[in-house]
Amino acid sequence: MTTLAPAEAGARGAGPSTPRRSHLRRSTGRLVPLVPAIVLLALFMLGPVIWSFYGSFTNAALTGPNAAEPEWIGLDNYVQLLSDPDFPKALWLTVLFVLASAVVGQNVLGLGLAMLMRSALKPVRAVVSTLVVTAWVLPEIVAAFAAYAFFHADGTLNSLLAGVGIAGPDWLYENPMLAVILANIWRGTAFSMMVYSAAVAEVPPEITEAARVDGANGMQRLVWVTLPTIRRSISTNLMLTTLQTLSVFTLIYVMTGGGPGTDSTTLPILAYQEAFKFAQVGYGTAIATVMLVIGAVFSVVYIRSLKPEVD
Amino acid sequence: MTGLAVPASTVPGRPARDEAPAGPGPRGSSAIAGPGSRATKVLANVVLVVVGLCFVLPLGWILLASLDASATLVVDIPEEVTFANFSAVMTPEQTWVPLTNAFLLSAGTGLVTLVAAVLAAYPLSRYRMRFNKPFLYTVLFGTCLPITAMMVPVYSLFVRLNLLDSLPGTILFMAATSLPMAIWMAKNFMDSVPVSLEEAAWTDGASGMTALRRIVLPLMRPGLAVVFIFVFIQAWGNFFVPFVLLLSPEKQPAAVSIFAFFGQYGSVAYGQLAAYSMLYSLPVLALYVLVARLSGSSFALAGAVKG
Amino acid sequence: MRLARPLTAGIAAPMLVLALAACGSGGGTGGDGDGDATIKIAYQKFGNFTQADELFKDVKAEYEDENPDVTIELVPIEASQNDYFTKLALMQRSPSTAPDLMYEDTFMIKSDVEAGYLLPLDDYLAEWDEWDQFVDQAKQAGLGDDGKTYGVPMGTDTRGLWFNKDVLAKAGLPEDWAPTTWDELLEAARAIKKADPEVIPLNVYSGKPMGEASSMQGFEMLLYGTGGTLYDADESKWVVGSQEFVDSLEFIQTIYTEGLAPTPQQALDPNVGNTVSAEWLPQGKLGIALDGSWMPGTWLENGTAPWPEWTEVMGTAPMPTQEGQEPGAVSMSGGWTMAVGAGTKNPEVAFDVLTHALDKEHALSFAIENSQIAVRSDVAEEPSYSEANPTVPFFSELVSVTQFRPATSDYAQISNAIQVAMESVMTGQQTPQEAAEVYDQAVVDQVGEENTTEG
Repeated sequence: MTTLAPAEAGARGAGPSTPRRSHLRRSTGRLVPLVPAIVLLALFMLGPVIWSFYGSFTNAALTGPNAAEPEWIGLDNYVQLLSDPDFPKALWLTVLFVLASAVVGQNVLGLGLAMLMRSALKPVRAVVSTLVVTAWVLPEIVAAFAAYAFFHADGTLNSLLAGVGIAGPDWLYENPMLAVILANIWRGTAFSMMVYSAAVAEVPPEITEAARVDGANGMQRLVWVTLPTIRRSISTNLMLTTLQTLSVFTLIYVMTGGGPGTDSTTLPILAYQEAFKFAQVGYGTAIATVMLVIGAVFSVVYIRSLKPEVD
Repeated sequence: MTGLAVPASTVPGRPARDEAPAGPGPRGSSAIAGPGSRATKVLANVVLVVVGLCFVLPLGWILLASLDASATLVVDIPEEVTFANFSAVMTPEQTWVPLTNAFLLSAGTGLVTLVAAVLAAYPLSRYRMRFNKPFLYTVLFGTCLPITAMMVPVYSLFVRLNLLDSLPGTILFMAATSLPMAIWMAKNFMDSVPVSLEEAAWTDGASGMTALRRIVLPLMRPGLAVVFIFVFIQAWGNFFVPFVLLLSPEKQPAAVSIFAFFGQYGSVAYGQLAAYSMLYSLPVLALYVLVARLSGSSFALAGAVKG
Repeated sequence: MRLARPLTAGIAAPMLVLALAACGSGGGTGGDGDGDATIKIAYQKFGNFTQADELFKDVKAEYEDENPDVTIELVPIEASQNDYFTKLALMQRSPSTAPDLMYEDTFMIKSDVEAGYLLPLDDYLAEWDEWDQFVDQAKQAGLGDDGKTYGVPMGTDTRGLWFNKDVLAKAGLPEDWAPTTWDELLEAARAIKKADPEVIPLNVYSGKPMGEASSMQGFEMLLYGTGGTLYDADESKWVVGSQEFVDSLEFIQTIYTEGLAPTPQQALDPNVGNTVSAEWLPQGKLGIALDGSWMPGTWLENGTAPWPEWTEVMGTAPMPTQEGQEPGAVSMSGGWTMAVGAGTKNPEVAFDVLTHALDKEHALSFAIENSQIAVRSDVAEEPSYSEANPTVPFFSELVSVTQFRPATSDYAQISNAIQVAMESVMTGQQTPQEAAEVYDQAVVDQVGEENTTEG
């Protein structure tokens, strides 16, 4: 099954005709347009990332005696991190948050909406997709505060529930993870919806038609025909939503502050707390390194299991 | 917002699949008209409306509270509708200067990122090289970096480069952090443009860059808009980077001043907070709608994430 | 050559921007020439807190007028507390951005001294004739661990019991109620609860969301009234395993389990501080609040919740010590100082600006505008000061019994450990003894066993 990228069908590699140039010069020349991007990335990202990585082996701090003379402490930060009782909890909460809101929530809802949109009336489709996209376009702090007001004990959700006669709990206090997961789904689904809309629209109707003629019902067509066809989009979308969800900070911080206690403290919140609240920069960057590792693990899992290469 | 279609009309040579009806009935690969299809349609519409309502609810509070003279966290129909909240926050210092700065920052970041990303995407898309995929994946890991943890070395770097408290310097940094996603998306959009067109140009002796400029870019216009919008939106909401890298208050963008506003919880009237949120969000929303309109119905993340 | 154009364009563009930016960005402080000096002042400006901004704007205008060869550069940092500390620390790390003068919280002084950011001021202070006007107790706030003075106090605050006279009257308590022991305080709370179960009898901040307020207005107001302490200053060691610590946690446990305090849910809302002053007290939903001298700032005309009747409805009483032992009352003080950056190129000029900003006139207006307790005795004697707000004399008197936090560089994490202990006790997850043991372990983990002592 191809995805519409005819550019890949072997047409690559020809390049502009440069019969007299040497092979080496040609390949170097080809890389030139990459230079601005590489310069920016190397200067502003690679540098600080390496420094942060190095910093995670020191006890660098923003204030206090270690600010003047940070010392190399080797793996101490990592050891302390692993033995910190807050860490496994933060790790688990982060994985839970990513799985529930990105992998499951946004992708399933996004795909579902994309499929539903196909059968929708034009005005319905226009209005609903605008509403969904608005939540995504909104600046994060505004979205975070809107979600805070929504889930607050005296907020919108409980008012609505009260209108139907249900006394809603204090979401942010009793179910903080549920609240932030729902909020993140609310905020990010638009991206998946748009990706899947386009991907599904490219599935050749002949194939699904053939399946229908063969007796497959809607659900079977979805699972056995449509999904495999858009496999690459699924894999890529999973990766992108996972990586972005991994570093979500403002949403959780504004809604619950990581609390109550540490009940919604994911790794980014822990890193912020350590690096800024306690000015322990070295320790904070150790947490950031761990986050990178987690991101890498997720990515490898996606790439391996979904084999996004075109067959 | 019918931004869900593949840019079929703008890319010649691609069969307009979703415009080839499979038969009477809804377009695309859904069932030909038959028993149950109307029920499915009705159900789909109902579900969508419900979902739409769910999505708009949290926003409802912002809208209502901004017009309410005595707003609280509880969503309420305002007893007296007033614009006092808006006028209270619409001072130059509080609103206009930060919004202008935000616009400068975001637009600058968007442009720089777009240029660098498109340039970088060209060889990645057109030339099969062994390091394509590793490079892309590595660059993609950049999107999961928590910026909060990196700000200290970035600050030192900026001190050394003497770029602190400068809008151009901040723009460069924000562009660098937006590049991973932007390159990825640009490359994918570019992949959807068939090479055959450029091949014709190449045999005529055009260079890579000329082909890029004359052929690929015009066909990628919706994609360019998507990348720009994406970067713009991210930059618009970015608090940490400008907070750390800019010192003078007159250079701070709205994201920083609004963060300060929110951090005071109830010691600020909720009505004003809501009004400020709306003022802060409307430009991005408007930009999105504008670009979507301009790109016609072909605005989508269609080609953005094929991988 | 075909690729030359895009090549140069591709590289030149970002380089050009970099170069332009480098030329255009701000430089550091320092003399522009002989006799010319630029003094950079960094301070917090946050929402309603504009008093520092106004003060320094005045100072800039006046000082530059009187001293034409000096330029004062104002750097207001618009951030909440933690972010302000972070930004300030970042600025201080680099000589080119380090401010000459800064608005420095007493909380940060010791650790900033250890980081080498601040200049010792003793020599300059010795020659300043107005330094004698500063109350001795208040001078302590600006001391580094080495006993030198690094910050000149701008004002301070004290803490005590606020009560709503109407609510207490309903419980049969007099208008001049003043408990002398913890038990009397608890009895009063119980009486209020009996008289009206809908009213919250007593508020003591507790738990992580309220942050330092829980540690200072809450826990330390209790602990330092038991005769115990967090830190043994003579030995420079942190105290662990103290019974007084457990007693203080027991008080928290008592009020939160007997329903004498807000529900844990209410108390763990980061917004509760505002709710207390803006809603509960004015609406008579709270009887007694263990809070600070700055509260009236909310109720003034230009405050966030104006309440003109507060002068008649609200009464004040000192927080008693545990058994009424000497000195009978307890208070904690924080407050802000002005400090001079260690790397300043013009220390004399910087100090001169400082003395201008903290002279009697400016100190007086800052204290009044900001609901601060005066740290200069000449300011305290000014009638306009005591008239600004009727509770000022009461809170000023508490300065004589007030204590300061052991704000070393470890304090941030130890304070966090206190809040964690309070939270586990108020939610019933641990007994005071258990929570105290967890705290002890956290302290040992933080500072190392050799820096602790049994209390």
